[in-house]
Amino acid sequence: MTSDGEALRLESVTKAFAGHVAVRELSLRVPRGSVFGLLGPNGAGKTTTLRMVMDVLAPDSGRVFVLGRPADAAARDRIGYMPEERGLYPRMQVDEQLAFLAELKGLGRAEALRRATPWLERLGLFEWRRRKLNELSKGMQQKVQLVATLLHQPEVLILDEPMSGLDPVGTDVVRDVLLEARARGCTLVLSSHQMDTVERLCDRVALIHRGGLLLEGTVAEVKRRHGGNHVALVVEEGDPSFLEAWPGVLAARREGGGRLLLELAESCDPQPLLREAAARLRLARFERVQPSLHEIFVERVTAAGGPA
Amino acid sequence: MRRLWAVVRREYLERARSKAFLVGTLAGPILLGGLMVAPGALMARQRGQPLRVAVLDASGRLQAEVEQALRERRVDGLPRFDVRPAGQGTQEERRARLRQQVLAGQLDGYLILPEDALERSQAEYHGRNVSAVMDLSLLDRVVEERLQARRLLDAGLAPERVQAAQMRLDLKTVKLSEGGEREDRGASFLLSMVLLMALYTSVAMWGAALMNGVIEEKTNRVVEVVVSSIPTSTLFAGKLLGVGAVGLTQLGVWALVTGGLGLAGSQAAALSGLKLPEVPPHLLLFFVLFFLLGFFLYGALYVSIGAAVNSQQEAQSLVFPVVLPLVVGVMFFPVVLGSPDSGLSVALSLVPFWTPLLMFLRMTVVTPPAWQVGLGLALTLASIAALTWAAARIYRVGILMHGKRPTLPEILRWVRHR
Repeated sequence: MTSDGEALRLESVTKAFAGHVAVRELSLRVPRGSVFGLLGPNGAGKTTTLRMVMDVLAPDSGRVFVLGRPADAAARDRIGYMPEERGLYPRMQVDEQLAFLAELKGLGRAEALRRATPWLERLGLFEWRRRKLNELSKGMQQKVQLVATLLHQPEVLILDEPMSGLDPVGTDVVRDVLLEARARGCTLVLSSHQMDTVERLCDRVALIHRGGLLLEGTVAEVKRRHGGNHVALVVEEGDPSFLEAWPGVLAARREGGGRLLLELAESCDPQPLLREAAARLRLARFERVQPSLHEIFVERVTAAGGPA
Repeated sequence: MRRLWAVVRREYLERARSKAFLVGTLAGPILLGGLMVAPGALMARQRGQPLRVAVLDASGRLQAEVEQALRERRVDGLPRFDVRPAGQGTQEERRARLRQQVLAGQLDGYLILPEDALERSQAEYHGRNVSAVMDLSLLDRVVEERLQARRLLDAGLAPERVQAAQMRLDLKTVKLSEGGEREDRGASFLLSMVLLMALYTSVAMWGAALMNGVIEEKTNRVVEVVVSSIPTSTLFAGKLLGVGAVGLTQLGVWALVTGGLGLAGSQAAALSGLKLPEVPPHLLLFFVLFFLLGFFLYGALYVSIGAAVNSQQEAQSLVFPVVLPLVVGVMFFPVVLGSPDSGLSVALSLVPFWTPLLMFLRMTVVTPPAWQVGLGLALTLASIAALTWAAARIYRVGILMHGKRPTLPEILRWVRHR
């Protein structure tokens, strides 16, 4: 069953290389128009997964659908893919390069060059269009790569580590371009291990680890489901040691400035704990804490047996 | 189709626009032309000045006639020996004086005919330069003829009969072909060698260029961007065709420039008595055909290596087994040229790895039976089909592999990889 509402759909996909399983029974759905974060530590199987979507690798078993159709040559013309390891021809002129890569997506040469001009102007590369790539700075090369990914106006953009190696200005440029693409209705799939980027941009995330899916959902869902039950207190006066032995407290961590972080059992209601603490201590603050995606993922990956 | 064309175009332009191509394309014919013209020009130059010699005769009978024979000997209408007087005095005095003159550079050398020169047919030449092979062998011949003539005369033969008895053999070698016959003095051998070397160089050079292109795309990672847009088979085919086309372009330029140089050099060649070989048009056609066969055959191997390794350094050790059959093929050239129709030559020229070189080499000297050419082509084409199929599969897996260099069994496993 596929639906037109899905940009990507993986059904129980497995891929192994010479005895080592890179992706195991992975199922994913990326809704159209969403910004999807594909997360996981190094070696989790992100790149292999994306290569299967791009039909660069064939899955050993399972099926991959792009925009409602099996992933094939026609499907990938509608995708813009920027691999983690960036690559362009170092001795080729910038405009030739863009025209060539667009031609590979089925665009005509003249049309590609026409479309490239506004991009090059906008990104400050127009003066450099006749230079060879290796005469450009790293940052400029990254921008050329981004333009190459966008020139054929893809409906799905897959960017592996889109922000890596970018300076703050470059990061802003990429983010603006991505937000524009989303506004146009383009589906974005961002693969990263930089959780803060993902947390700011994505509506949905999937965490994969050792080739399998660890968790998936909207950012809010993931935080609610996997964030655990945490409270934080800032103690101005008094000894909070008794809280560490409070029924339902699983772990306690003292941080600087009198801050105490408590992890509670799922069923534990923090209200009685607050009343008791307020009675015995002088509190500057008491709050329920939602952990960052980063904390959730570190916790989940560690629980699942550490990085691959 | 349009995408394949885009790859071919890119591969072609990247190389055809490079400085290395410009240099190689221009330097090639100069080297080749030089190789064809230089020996003739050198020989012509060596025969510049006549040799200044004196004759020192101890037998007392031969002085005048040897001197005269030397004076009369002409090459290309010009005298080769400038005979100087030996002077007066005793044998020792004259010899010492001539020696002085040679050391002072006034004389190139002197010929000593001992007392029993006629009986023992012996003589000595003393000179500063005793390695002017052409002139000294001529000197040898002139004196030998003179001594022979004297012996025949002494035996009572009439002078006119002596000349007839001493007639030298003039052996002409004539190359036979369907197109007619033509006197040939070594030019055909030279042509075969030059064409074989051009073929070998082109196949090896453009095969390596292909390999380096693959390694480069792999190391700078652009290959992943490309194969996420087009099938690897399209990229693979585009590279073979693009680089092959550059090779053909270079050969075309070579043919034109060498032709031009040949015309300019024909004067120098004519001076040395060497006829420049004509290249029959059908041979040029076969040259192009065999270049393409060799290029695709060895190119498939080169591409496989490029896809398997991570750097050109890593490629070095794997390149050897690929270059080896190519070099061995070239090394068979004296065998094949010596007897182009022998069983061994025919067998060698039917081995697919050697057909492009050796079948062509045979064609430069004989016209092999059509069945042999056809069989050679068929076997080579079949090998190309099998090798490119395997290479395309190795390529598909290899270009995305980084890290440790794979072993040969691993590479072979890639062929069977889904």
